[in-house]
Amino acid sequence: MSLRSAAGSLYLGLILVFIYLPIVIMMVMGFNESSSYELPFRFSLAWYEQLAGNETLWRAGRNSVLLALASTVITTVIGTMAALALSRYRVRGHAVLQILLFPPMAVPWLILATSMLIFFYYSGIGRGLHAMLLAHVALSLPYVIIVVGARLQSFAQDLEEAAATLGANPMQTFFRVTLPMIAPGVAAAALFAFGISFDQFVTSYFLSPPGVTTLPVEIYASIRKGFTPEINAISTIIIVFSMLLLVVVSRFYRFGGAK
Amino acid sequence: MKLKREWIGLGLTAPAYAWLCVTVILPLAMMLYFSFLSKMPMGNAEPAFSLRQYMAFFQKDFYRFLAWRSLMLGFHVTLFCVLIGYPAAFVLARLVKGRWREAILLLVVLPFWSNALIRIFAWTMVLRTDGIVDQMLHFILPGAPSIGILYSYPAIVIGLVHSFLPYMILTCYISLQAIDDTLVEAGQALGASNLTVFRRIILPLSLPGLFVGVVLIFVPVVGAFMEPRILGGRQSIMLGTVIEDQFTEVFNWPLGAALSFTLLAIVSLIFLAAYPLLKNRLKVS
Amino acid sequence: MSKVDIRNVSKRYGDVIALNDVSLSFGEREFFGLLGPSGSGKTTLLRSIAGFVEPTSGEILIEGGDISRIPTYKRDIGMVFQNYALFPHMTIFENVAFPLSVRGVKDAEIRSRVANILELVQLGAYGSRRPRELSGGQQQRIALARALVSRPRVLLLDEPLGALDKNLRQQMQIELRQIQREVGITTILVTHDQEEALTLSDRIAIFRKGEVVQTGRPDEIYERPQNAFAAEFFGATNFLEGHSAGNNGGLGSVRLDDGTLVLTSDVVPANGERVVTTVRPEKFRISAAKAALPEDGQPVNVLSGTVVRPVYIGASVTYHVTTGTSELTVFQQNREARLFETGDRVVLNWLPQHAVVLAG
Repeated sequence: MSLRSAAGSLYLGLILVFIYLPIVIMMVMGFNESSSYELPFRFSLAWYEQLAGNETLWRAGRNSVLLALASTVITTVIGTMAALALSRYRVRGHAVLQILLFPPMAVPWLILATSMLIFFYYSGIGRGLHAMLLAHVALSLPYVIIVVGARLQSFAQDLEEAAATLGANPMQTFFRVTLPMIAPGVAAAALFAFGISFDQFVTSYFLSPPGVTTLPVEIYASIRKGFTPEINAISTIIIVFSMLLLVVVSRFYRFGGAK
Repeated sequence: MKLKREWIGLGLTAPAYAWLCVTVILPLAMMLYFSFLSKMPMGNAEPAFSLRQYMAFFQKDFYRFLAWRSLMLGFHVTLFCVLIGYPAAFVLARLVKGRWREAILLLVVLPFWSNALIRIFAWTMVLRTDGIVDQMLHFILPGAPSIGILYSYPAIVIGLVHSFLPYMILTCYISLQAIDDTLVEAGQALGASNLTVFRRIILPLSLPGLFVGVVLIFVPVVGAFMEPRILGGRQSIMLGTVIEDQFTEVFNWPLGAALSFTLLAIVSLIFLAAYPLLKNRLKVS
Repeated sequence: MSKVDIRNVSKRYGDVIALNDVSLSFGEREFFGLLGPSGSGKTTLLRSIAGFVEPTSGEILIEGGDISRIPTYKRDIGMVFQNYALFPHMTIFENVAFPLSVRGVKDAEIRSRVANILELVQLGAYGSRRPRELSGGQQQRIALARALVSRPRVLLLDEPLGALDKNLRQQMQIELRQIQREVGITTILVTHDQEEALTLSDRIAIFRKGEVVQTGRPDEIYERPQNAFAAEFFGATNFLEGHSAGNNGGLGSVRLDDGTLVLTSDVVPANGERVVTTVRPEKFRISAAKAALPEDGQPVNVLSGTVVRPVYIGASVTYHVTTGTSELTVFQQNREARLFETGDRVVLNWLPQHAVVLAG
């Protein structure tokens, strides 16, 4: 039995090495003096200093953050509304919405992104941050509805019925009973939405007009032009930021359920 | 009163409906329309309806070859994810306990959350000739041959497996940890060997998770373009990259649209074909 | 004047009829039990009064006003749920203050009213706790306090004691009844536990398949059930079947299938018609075959039989006695010198008023 556990632990250890090896190397190389990633390692903050002066990246970063914030607010609000309707106000036609939630998850993003490019171009919506916002919200909406919906299912409707018998109107019931109860789910969903938007590359790539970019789009362009450790530096910042975000999510939302 | 509830239900979902219409339904519909156009509707050029774009796929070996390559890539990446990820999920769900389990699970999904682009980029440093692995090898064994495999098909597979492995571990873990221990104990008490218990009890019950993982990996990998571009070099050409080119370089949107729908159709057909085989198995749990 | 009126209320879910033309009246300050097996429609009726279920047809009136079109939160009712439905994110004080605060009552008044009601349920010191820190019985009392604090017009109880263990349940029944009397509120209780309905209710309605089978005081329903369902649902009973042998001198007589004549104080239908009578097991007097008849000269029924199986319970003994055509259940207090054994010949006696003629 203990041999089996030991073998299992070893296996998990190897997988974690596989998962983290490239990331750690990339992070370390951001602190290496050599511009062509040569060893031996010599510590330097030169690439971070250079990064501080890179206006294009900063502008892209600001776009990314603003986009993610706007997308989070919109997705969380309309996603929570939809989840509430799906679990508490059942009406005919909801099946349609539930089917509509699949494409953003099941169709390759490349196809969704290019179809949006065609439609936005010919409908006059055009490209730009607003178009990216439309796309980011659509892609994170299903996840928000699922996470908030799961939370809504997990507590009985009794509490809302009780509130109604106690004289609370639907608004009071929502803000004083339902919302506090689903708050952890809503918070987790909001962080999910932020993460999806902040890391979103495919749709932003197709919907960004020249000069208006987000961080992932800018990084992709830099990679295709040729690497510099500057990318390592910004990537390290993004990764650390994203991972912190997920650690926060995990405080609200237990992965894989409790057992 | 009932009528009012229906209005509330519709009102609450209206923004989501509208949003998904503008970003999913109308674009996909328009793309379908585009895929039947003879050329880009630009300026005075009047495009005609034609099957030309789809014919290209069936007439030119090139596109069929690309579709095959993309499907094989999807198959290889999914296969490795299953082979590596399922045992990991099994160990995690059935052998590791308590806080450790939660911590390792978090560690597995943590990087998956960070930018996919950056993780692919990180592999270029590891895999290229004179990359980190190569340099370390030479540091230890000075005379060893170079092992840089960047810009090759295996590099694409490694990068994609790295990207999607956490999906597989997570979905398999969720269905494996939900299996009641008493079922396993009952199986053992009835005289089944560990292997039989696994084959007859654990595997069938965890199949839904495995299937979800396969779908979640296969679909995006078949449509991948960024990963082949960065890791594949000359090997990078896939259906996804050709579609990308139609929209960003060549500006032949009708062809890009037709190729997209062909890809979508192939993927749908594969899952449609697999569904009857899996339906009964999936119903069990 | 009645407080709540149910008038011809029906509820259909597709082909399923949950309530079929139910009419009931609940009086001022009355404690009314809705009793029946699950799926009998009692909960549907309660939820219709609360406004969670919209009847397909019929009217529900509170104090003479039709509330069918009024949403739940405007109905001015109090309700206690089976699992109490206390808000876990609020303290006990906040829970109980909730109905007052959503109605915009001033803080000072809220504080005094909550304090008063918490005193009433004897949990004055628990205001700052969370619901999960309280025992089941305490949670139940808080749920009651919360339902009563806004002085609603009607109190609805949905299996309120179902989650408690037996001892606590009996204690809570007494408390519940006391509080209800003190507050003086019309109360409608849904339960499937006939003992609970007996202990608590002024009147009871028995439900079966969406219809009210019988309405009355608990003792009326127990002593004089109108049909086999009411008789069986409300405790153990025996059925004796035969044909009417006419009414004579204030007593009806029924000839059982084995020829025995049974007297009843009920009126029997015309001669020769099929009649079913019911006798509660404790109404029988069981004695050795050769024992003498009662002394006072009252008419009494006699049936002889054989003990098939004695079941020893402690305070009482249950005998299964066969009369040849039917098997009867008999309760006897455990105070005789000797208990009967299997095979003993016995005689059963019972008074005509304990033989109840059932309808249909």
